[in-house]
Amino acid sequence: MAEQRPILLVEDNAINCEMLARRLTRAGFRVVTAADGEQALQVMAREGPALVLMDMNLPVLDGWSACRAARQDPTLRDIPIIALTAHAMEADRQSALAAGCDDYATKPIDFPGLLAKIQRLLPA
Amino acid sequence: MSHDSTSPPDLWSHILRGAVTDLRALANGRGAHLPASAMEDLQRIFSLAATLDQQLAAASDHHDLMNTISGIRGYAEMLQEDIGSQQPDLGDSLARLLKATENAATGTVNHSVASRAPTVAAEPGFILAVDDLAENRELVARYLSRSGHLVVTAASGAEALRALAESDVDVVLLDLMMPDMDGREVLRRIKANPDWRATPVIVISGSQDMDGIIACIEAGADDYLFKPFNPVLLQARIKAGIERKRWHDREEQYRQQLERNEKFIRATFGRYLSDEIVTDILERPEGLELGGDLREVTIMMSDIRGFTSLSEHLAPAEVVAMLNRYLGTMTDIIMAHNGTIDEFIGDAILAVFGAPQRRDDDADRAVRCALAMQAAMDSINADNKAAGLPALATGIALNTGSVIAGNIGSERRSKYGFVGHPMNVTSRIEDHCLGGEILISESTVSKLAGHYRLSNRRELDARGLDQTVVVHRLEEHADG
Repeated sequence: MAEQRPILLVEDNAINCEMLARRLTRAGFRVVTAADGEQALQVMAREGPALVLMDMNLPVLDGWSACRAARQDPTLRDIPIIALTAHAMEADRQSALAAGCDDYATKPIDFPGLLAKIQRLLPA
Repeated sequence: MSHDSTSPPDLWSHILRGAVTDLRALANGRGAHLPASAMEDLQRIFSLAATLDQQLAAASDHHDLMNTISGIRGYAEMLQEDIGSQQPDLGDSLARLLKATENAATGTVNHSVASRAPTVAAEPGFILAVDDLAENRELVARYLSRSGHLVVTAASGAEALRALAESDVDVVLLDLMMPDMDGREVLRRIKANPDWRATPVIVISGSQDMDGIIACIEAGADDYLFKPFNPVLLQARIKAGIERKRWHDREEQYRQQLERNEKFIRATFGRYLSDEIVTDILERPEGLELGGDLREVTIMMSDIRGFTSLSEHLAPAEVVAMLNRYLGTMTDIIMAHNGTIDEFIGDAILAVFGAPQRRDDDADRAVRCALAMQAAMDSINADNKAAGLPALATGIALNTGSVIAGNIGSERRSKYGFVGHPMNVTSRIEDHCLGGEILISESTVSKLAGHYRLSNRRELDARGLDQTVVVHRLEEHADG
């Protein structure tokens, strides 16, 4: 059996990154991480993750730009991306979706809700 | 609309701080019993809570704030999954922490809505709103959750009593006009229940129902509001109610703490002191800081003659059984004579009469105690014989003098004990005791009020002592 494709978690806040990675691992996923938008694109190309969880406020290259870049890259454009942001407003949701994200979750993360979103977007 | 996290920290942060404080106390209290991974996660929560405090103080960016809260929530949820069910009190604190993070998420976003209406800042409380009309319940719930309270509603008296039984309600907001069980009946039942009696009840009624309100206040209601009520007035009364409840809770906690302390002291000292002395100490709490004072006491040392060589021929379990029978009987006798057992050293007993409580008959009680101890040896030896064990003979030395009595030791381990020259003298006298013999020093004899038969006066030239010690052999009690 081929190795399970990982979930890429892009988060610059170290403690949140550690926390979410652990919860995802406990839920049975393999997790790889990146700390900024540019790293995220590199890891996406290298690891071919099954799905990306992307914080939008990122250093170097922010989440919106990283999303747009991924959507323009034919090798990356089909990887589902869920945006993670601190803002619960409709405008924020729209801007993430406009950048090419498939879904959207607000912090503090409702983990069971996030898992449901991941399951919905994971390739069958 | 802006996400104004620079607005004053909302009430959720109070709940969060409270929950973190409780978790800290629980973690400190049972650190050793929690899995290492759980302790690590608790530490993460504590450090995130500290970060949060700094961020709130510095009015940090909403994004940073939510990252921190998200971290707290994540670790709290994992802890809840891992150990919440095994440690119910930890689970409760975690649940409150999680509730606070949830309120934080909505609270910070909605703050600009909330700030339009004047609010009365109050410690957040758990409010039970009882009203048969859904729109009234919703209205009250909206007003109060806006100021950070947790609100649970009940549509009838029966529902209200169920809610009271299930949770620790701070204030009850009670509509008087309800079908089936009306507000007055609910109030009566709350005040009749010892667990609920202290929960403040605010009754609500129509402005024409002054008589009903008066009757309720007489029946134990704490406050009232007329419909339609002013939301600010509602909040002010809720605030006062919560403060009353908190005072009561603190008082109750204090009372329970005192009770626990008393139990602890009885359990700790009760093994060495008679009930009478423990009660004296409890009635005079300053006596617990037994800092050390010089006092005259009668010291008793007893020792089973030849016990060490005796025990070499017995199985370890037999030695322990025999010792426990002997020491158990002796302990009972010493306590019955209000002696303080300082320690057992193997088969040897060191007891003191006159500390922590001095009495006029300290020397007399010591003498009567020694006689009773020797008299009990017959029955101990009968038991030993029945169990196929050898007979025991004990020697008892009594001496009176001034010693320093106090809590001696370090912060971690200390015990009420005695030091001073008379202790050594007693030990030297004890060395000269034969089996079945009681030797008492001249200093003890001079303190006796009763008359006892003494014989065999002699001077001991004990090693390590500057002066000779005069001792008598104590025969039986001659007073009758």
